[in-house]
Amino acid sequence: MSLLLTPSQIVEILGLPFMTRSLVTVVVLAVAAALIGVFVNLRNLEFISDGLAHSVFPGLVIGYVVAGAYGVFLGALLSALVASVLLTVVSRRGIGSDAGIAVVLASMFSLGVVIVSRQHSYASELEDLLFGRLLTVTDSQVRQIVVVGAVAALLVVATWRTQLFRAFDAQGFRAAGYRELPYDIVLNVAVALVVVAGSQAIGNLLVLALLIVPVAIARLVTTHVAWLAPVAAVVSVVCGVAGLLIGYQASVVAGASPSPSAVVVLVLVVAYLVVLVAYVLGRRARLWGQRRRARQGSTVA
Amino acid sequence: MSSFYWLALVESVVLGLLCGVVGTIVVLRRRAFFTVALTHATFPGGVVAAIGGFSVLLGAGVFSVVLVAVMTAISRVRRQGSQVASGVVLTGGFALGMLLQSLTPSLPVQVDTLLVGSILTVTRGDILAAAIVLLVAVLVLLVAGKELLFSSFDPWGFRAAGYREHAMDAVALTLIAATVVVAMPAVGSILAIALIVGPAATAGLLVRRVSRIIPVACVLGALSGVLGLLASRAWNIAGGAAICLVAAVFFVLATLSAPHVRRRRLRRLRSQAQL
Repeated sequence: MSLLLTPSQIVEILGLPFMTRSLVTVVVLAVAAALIGVFVNLRNLEFISDGLAHSVFPGLVIGYVVAGAYGVFLGALLSALVASVLLTVVSRRGIGSDAGIAVVLASMFSLGVVIVSRQHSYASELEDLLFGRLLTVTDSQVRQIVVVGAVAALLVVATWRTQLFRAFDAQGFRAAGYRELPYDIVLNVAVALVVVAGSQAIGNLLVLALLIVPVAIARLVTTHVAWLAPVAAVVSVVCGVAGLLIGYQASVVAGASPSPSAVVVLVLVVAYLVVLVAYVLGRRARLWGQRRRARQGSTVA
Repeated sequence: MSSFYWLALVESVVLGLLCGVVGTIVVLRRRAFFTVALTHATFPGGVVAAIGGFSVLLGAGVFSVVLVAVMTAISRVRRQGSQVASGVVLTGGFALGMLLQSLTPSLPVQVDTLLVGSILTVTRGDILAAAIVLLVAVLVLLVAGKELLFSSFDPWGFRAAGYREHAMDAVALTLIAATVVVAMPAVGSILAIALIVGPAATAGLLVRRVSRIIPVACVLGALSGVLGLLASRAWNIAGGAAICLVAAVFFVLATLSAPHVRRRRLRRLRSQAQL
């Protein structure tokens, strides 16, 4: 098998049962994260999202310790809800809030590590919870991911116009009689749910990439708010599928076993860097063009 | 007490002092997310060092220089900003570390020591490195502390007064990056942020005057280190995480008591005014 794939080969690979499961996982997470990521980007909530991702971690661990593999999901869900309310309140206190977020996220994470460190198979469990296992998700996990991802996406879609108003004109939002807290909590809960949905598959920290990077690419590509979510979703799905295929090929052709979610995230980051460089060079070229035209205009005159 | 425990104690005190100094700079300049991104992103540096067989400090140090440059470049592009820059570097760096680690199954160092540290196995070299950074940080504060503060509180005024803000930013970023790197062997790349920001944020809640925040933060940092180590020994839990949890407990206690402290200060001011 060569490194370049024909379309029929791609269909064949993705038709393998475990690849289909990871494909569904990646697509669902990519679309949900793209929708929510629009507001993470517009409202500069990247740090709070990071805080939420870390805060879900002790929930994963406690769930695992108490109830085994089944408890992981429930534990993560509970801690996500607690953390999203906690972080919403901390971040609204204004002064020094970023230090507050940092302390919350690091201490929640430490709590998870302390609990894991009491377990016997400490190192390997820590790695699984942090890095996820994209290629071995089970049918029931896929169902959980679809349900939780859909709920998260629905929360944002249902409040879309109001969230946009809140993002662009906080003063007008207040003046129009809206209250900020409920909408902030809805948004943070949605972020937390995506993190929960993605934790076991993509990994607790790497879900963040799906929230942040595709929308950052979309911001470079388009200036229309309405296009942000579609562009981000398409970019994210394409990079996700490409990452899955690259990971598969690497293990089949080269015999290596790269972490699939790391490959997916790195494909996204590389795509971002390529678009970023193209954007910066494009702007430079346009500026030079304008300047040259202006100079020619002045010599003619 | 065995010698490795003494080494761990010394390391935790030195790191606690260092984090008190540099953490205050992080908090005052609002660089917490930047620092978080840097701590996560030095992880691949550690993995590369483990694969290549050289010092983790060297690998993480080289990586942090590269990543600071990338973050600075991204944050200057329109419609991107510093939060996006931190987010991209954080997740990208973490993924890179994971990829490298998954490609080399026979890695001589366990990944979790890079992520959450292993304070009981620190070497004299690690302690020396932390002590040197501490010394440099103190020297920088003595020489340029006033300028550093000025630019933290009022960047516009700082520039208007004829200073170069970029130079101050570079000094601050270098100190932060160096601290992140030397903290890595003891508390790992994910947990370091708690020890860096925790004591300084706590001190900021307890005292108002900036000249007092740094000493209070240093004491709290060193105390977190020692108490965390004792706790990890008593209950057989991960040392680095225990240290960070102690720092967090201080912060929570300070948050809860901050209204009382503020009220008492007000009362004292009022009684002084009446005299």
